Amino acid sequence: MKKYICPICGYVYDEAKEGVKFEDLPDDWKCPLCGAPKNLFKAEAIEVTKDEIKDEVVESSETKEDLREMSDLEISALCSSLARGCEKQYLDEEKELFTKLANHYKNKAQNKESSDLESLISKINEDLNINYPKARKVAEEKMDRGALRVITWGEKVSAILNSLLSQYQNDKEFTKNTKIYVCDICGFIYVGDEKPEICPICKVPSFKLLEVKRGA
Amino acid sequence: MSKLRAVRNLRICSKDCLCLYVCPTGATDTETGQIDFAKCIGCGACSKACPSGAISMVPYQYPKQQIKDELVITDLNKLIKNKVLEEQIAETIYKNSNDEIEKQLFKSIARANRLMAEDLYREAGYMLPQSKNTKEFLERLLEENKNIELKTDIEKLLNLLECNE
Ligand code: SF4
Ligand code: SF4
Ligand SMILES: [Zn+2]
Ligand SMILES: [Zn+2]
Repeated sequence: MKKYICPICGYVYDEAKEGVKFEDLPDDWKCPLCGAPKNLFKAEAIEVTKDEIKDEVVESSETKEDLREMSDLEISALCSSLARGCEKQYLDEEKELFTKLANHYKNKAQNKESSDLESLISKINEDLNINYPKARKVAEEKMDRGALRVITWGEKVSAILNSLLSQYQNDKEFTKNTKIYVCDICGFIYVGDEKPEICPICKVPSFKLLEVKRGA
Repeated sequence: MSKLRAVRNLRICSKDCLCLYVCPTGATDTETGQIDFAKCIGCGACSKACPSGAISMVPYQYPKQQIKDELVITDLNKLIKNKVLEEQIAETIYKNSNDEIEKQLFKSIARANRLMAEDLYREAGYMLPQSKNTKEFLERLLEENKNIELKTDIEKLLNLLECNE
């Protein structure tokens, strides 16, 4: 008898309690709390080898970027991030101005790379396999709690995106009979009818899980 | 301690009690439901009188941002670069699709990536709109921008946001 753990929300599937072996669960079985698919679950006994990125010296690379190296998309994301910062402080006028800038740069941005599903999946995998583990290692070394937080949340959200895309590859209509919610704080996507009471990743209450309507 | 002002959480406020009564300047009673910041003198009376914990006192000036390590920032920036591209790809798929089910999924994915990029920026030194980082960013943006209307907006922002460092 083993236990299997949801990597997204920490839910534990205990074979002893459930009376059904994990491997005997149907393939479309999902985490009852967060909707993570079965194939993301890890057996408890097996220690997840944490750092594929071994002790290679962390190269001190590029210095502080200046604007010329910031793409229009990055400028846009920074502006919309600052707009949210202003909103938190109830600075309405500032929020509007940043939002306007964010939209301007977003519309201005050129499509430079190929925009197909394969490149999307390969980018997400690059994050999951290389960028997040490396960033985590550096953030741990520098004891940057804030960075560790954003890395942990982002890594989990990216894992969910990755699994959604592989479900989509198997069945383009897998979301046909369900709703979709996006957590407005961390970006977690919940596919299902009843949204969870709190976001399984960032733990914000459910009113921040916003439904993305079809045909809107 | 720096000057404070009262803000009301509209999700909690029941809009019917004594914060209106205790406010010495009438700042709590407005058509928008939010407190009139121009009138608020930051005395905190409304916050103490509120039975629902709906009013907080927030500072006008925030403390300086903690110094971030360059290596951490470099790695977070790398993630940001990918997240905005992922957003763009998902959005292109969304735009090019005629299928409502597919559109809904890729719109959600685009949104998730934007949110992650925004969050990464907060930890990469841009938590506070009043920070020196933000100020320098806006100044560079102003310099390289040719669009008159946008220039005016950026100048407005630079004037409105008092830098705290
Ligand atoms: S802090 Fe004082 S002045 Fe400001 S709204 Fe509350 S009671 Fe009125
Ligand atoms: S006392 Fe609190 S709950 Fe009542 S109206 Fe004022 S802010 Fe709202
Ligand atoms: Zn889960
Ligand atoms: Zn969340």
